Amino acid sequence: MPILECTGLTRRFGALVAVDAVDMAVEPGEIRAVIGPNGAGKSTLFNVITGVLAPSAGRARFMDETITGLPVEQVAQKGIARTFQLTHLFPELSARDNARIAAQARLPGRMKLIGGASVIAQSVERAEQALDRLHLSRFADVPANMLSHGDQRLLEIAMAVAQAPRLLMLDEPTQGLSIEETDRAVEILREMLADGDLTVILVEHDMEVVFKLAHRITVLHQGRVIADDVPEKVKANDEVQRAYLGGFE
Amino acid sequence: MDFVGFLLTQSLNAFSQAAILFFIACGLTLIFGIMRIINFAHGSLFMLGAYVGFSTAAATGSFWLALIVAPIVVGAVGMAFEKLFLSRLYIRGDGGAYLMVTFGLAVIMGETIRLIWGPHPHGISTPDMLRGVVILLDQPFPKYRLFLIVFGLLAALGTWQFLERTRAGLLIRAVSQNAEMVQALGTDVQMVRTCVFGFGCAMAALGGVLAAPMVTAFLGMSASVIIDAFVIVIIGGMGSFLGSIIGSLLVAFAQVFGAYYFPNMALAIMYLLMLVILVVRPGGLLGKEE
Amino acid sequence: MNWKTGFVITAFVACLVPLVSPNYMMTVIIEALIFGLFAMSLDLLVGYTRLYSFGHVAAYGLGAYTSALLLLHFNLPLPIAIILAVAISMAIATPIAWVCTRTHGVSFAMLTLAFAQLGYAILYGFKDFTGGSNGLAGIPRPEGPFGLDFFQSKIGYFYMVLFCLLGSYLLCRALVNSPFGAVLAGIRENEPKTAALGYNTRAYKRIVAIAAYGFGALAGALYAPFAGFASPELFFWLISGTVLIMVIVGGSGTLIGPIIGGVFFLMLENQLSEVTSLWPLIFGSIFIAFVMFAPQGIWGLLTARFTKPPVQPGSDRDGEAARAHS
Repeated sequence: MPILECTGLTRRFGALVAVDAVDMAVEPGEIRAVIGPNGAGKSTLFNVITGVLAPSAGRARFMDETITGLPVEQVAQKGIARTFQLTHLFPELSARDNARIAAQARLPGRMKLIGGASVIAQSVERAEQALDRLHLSRFADVPANMLSHGDQRLLEIAMAVAQAPRLLMLDEPTQGLSIEETDRAVEILREMLADGDLTVILVEHDMEVVFKLAHRITVLHQGRVIADDVPEKVKANDEVQRAYLGGFE
Repeated sequence: MDFVGFLLTQSLNAFSQAAILFFIACGLTLIFGIMRIINFAHGSLFMLGAYVGFSTAAATGSFWLALIVAPIVVGAVGMAFEKLFLSRLYIRGDGGAYLMVTFGLAVIMGETIRLIWGPHPHGISTPDMLRGVVILLDQPFPKYRLFLIVFGLLAALGTWQFLERTRAGLLIRAVSQNAEMVQALGTDVQMVRTCVFGFGCAMAALGGVLAAPMVTAFLGMSASVIIDAFVIVIIGGMGSFLGSIIGSLLVAFAQVFGAYYFPNMALAIMYLLMLVILVVRPGGLLGKEE
Repeated sequence: MNWKTGFVITAFVACLVPLVSPNYMMTVIIEALIFGLFAMSLDLLVGYTRLYSFGHVAAYGLGAYTSALLLLHFNLPLPIAIILAVAISMAIATPIAWVCTRTHGVSFAMLTLAFAQLGYAILYGFKDFTGGSNGLAGIPRPEGPFGLDFFQSKIGYFYMVLFCLLGSYLLCRALVNSPFGAVLAGIRENEPKTAALGYNTRAYKRIVAIAAYGFGALAGALYAPFAGFASPELFFWLISGTVLIMVIVGGSGTLIGPIIGGVFFLMLENQLSEVTSLWPLIFGSIFIAFVMFAPQGIWGLLTARFTKPPVQPGSDRDGEAARAHS
């Protein structure tokens, strides 16, 4: 049974159809890449699924529950963790604090005004585990705005992981990273995902990253799905090559 | 008095009220358009205008002189403040800092006014020429209020034409929309900002002098007026000059007719209005985004 | 020195104050402590959640008038009246907080100011109840439960206010270090991200606003029986300004900074405003200077010198940190 299922998901902005009747089914444990040229609607698709935007039509179901139309915080509570294209962190807080606030969000007692010592201890533990998985432990006490761009992107992923989500949605995780940083990020991600306990949907522009990580690829062009298949088949797909004007390397 | 007479009197009251509100709101919205900040000190500048106007009128015996001197003085104070403090904050892009700094100015002015002029209200006497009433449709109507309506109308028309027809006005509108582009084309945007800020402050001061003969200059003016001005700008849309006119009219009518039908609730009506607008349509009716 | 030691020492020293101060100073000191408490209450909103309230005087005025009315109309022991006043004020604050936290930034500031102005207007509108411009006079200081009456004297009142201040500080400290407090930090740093993580940020803002009102009302409730009267002056907007200035200059987000700011401001004003008529210009300019050049405030500046650097010297972490900075 798919963990995430989108049926006819559509989002219009006036006359512009940013997401056009998208059908997508992601299986548990899968790593799905969503690719497409600029303006294809990838981030909008993310925004509709996670509740930042309401759909104009269609719906998305997560673990058999309809999530379209729910506000952002409720979607997150269902078990979906998401990172953004532009880095969104808590700049003056330490990496550990960033991660522990993320971890705390999924713990009962997150609103405790008194007697929350155990909640804090638990979130710190999860935070440190997440930082460890992303190889950021040595920066635990460093304020987030003092980290390099690459480490900030990883910290954002660590925050998402600290929430122990069922579904991880990464929006261009390697954006703005140098080649070395990208390679390092891919290695860390591959290692992290090797257990198969996380389902991941990632939007990516970097094809090397996509081919190294993804089990399946969904290709969007002008809001529509033009291909949804395993990487080799997508690579060979004529329509996809045309959409990218010149195909892949 | 018959209903038509009543309607006429109250409407004229509302228009004269709208005239005063316009002077404050127009300045606030222009400043927002140029600088994307709400000048929290605007109410205190209005108040300063009233007090400076009072002193000028008291010293020279001329209300008209007060009408000229107060805007100049307060406009200069505003420009100095913008040059010394606000311009440095622009690069920071920190909304909270602007709020604090303009608020700091409001507090400084409030306390300074209290120290210089004392805690008691001061009145300006209506100039002789404008005393007395005019009979319209069998109803007496104060000449001063008629003067306010005419003066306000002229000021609104004048400002509108200035913004639409003159090169300076075009510059101001351009900077409101895309400051970077205008800067790239060679204009000193910082100078434009300082001037517009000064102009906005001068307008507010003018409003203060005009209001003083009716309500006296008193220390509580600034807080109530900034709220009125803010409501108007929210209703009309932040940054929209036309919106400031429409907003002033709407608020003035709400205040005047509200005060008549629910005298104890006059203030509450204002706040209810603000509440509803802020919560339901924070972007205003005609405005740019916040 | 850890904070507990510092706290105990401060409390101990504070307890000795009445022994060395002349009687007339005690009045100023008590008012200073009350103002310090008031300033700390605003820090919860401004310093920890970055919600700039321009109407916090409403909390103070509410607390003062409520305790005044309770003491004038009912025969209650003083501590009970104060506690009740705080509870009632928090109840009134709940719908206000609910409305105001639907907005943020300038709109939030304006709405809070508007509510304070509304309070001011209501005082004049319901003259029979609130005494209008004359206010309420002759507020008694009844003895407490079990015949406790030490706070009917000035020194006794000092200890009661000190106890409330220290106790409130401990409560606020616990609050900001709790899981709830961690979320406030998130809201302060990046509210959309905090919501995206799964937090209902509005609920958190509502609760912290009510708490801030509660502590502010406590300050007001302590003031009225001490001064013996309550007047509309207690709702005047300039007080919202001065308390905000105290928070920023003292050091927002530290709890201690605003307390110190509040205490010293009141004492300075008491001494200096007689001497120079430039006092408001002085403190207003100091405020603007801090906002622009030292936003961490006095306490922030002082404690920055004692904070551990994020990376320990003497390990390869130096190299890591250097790379992190590149």
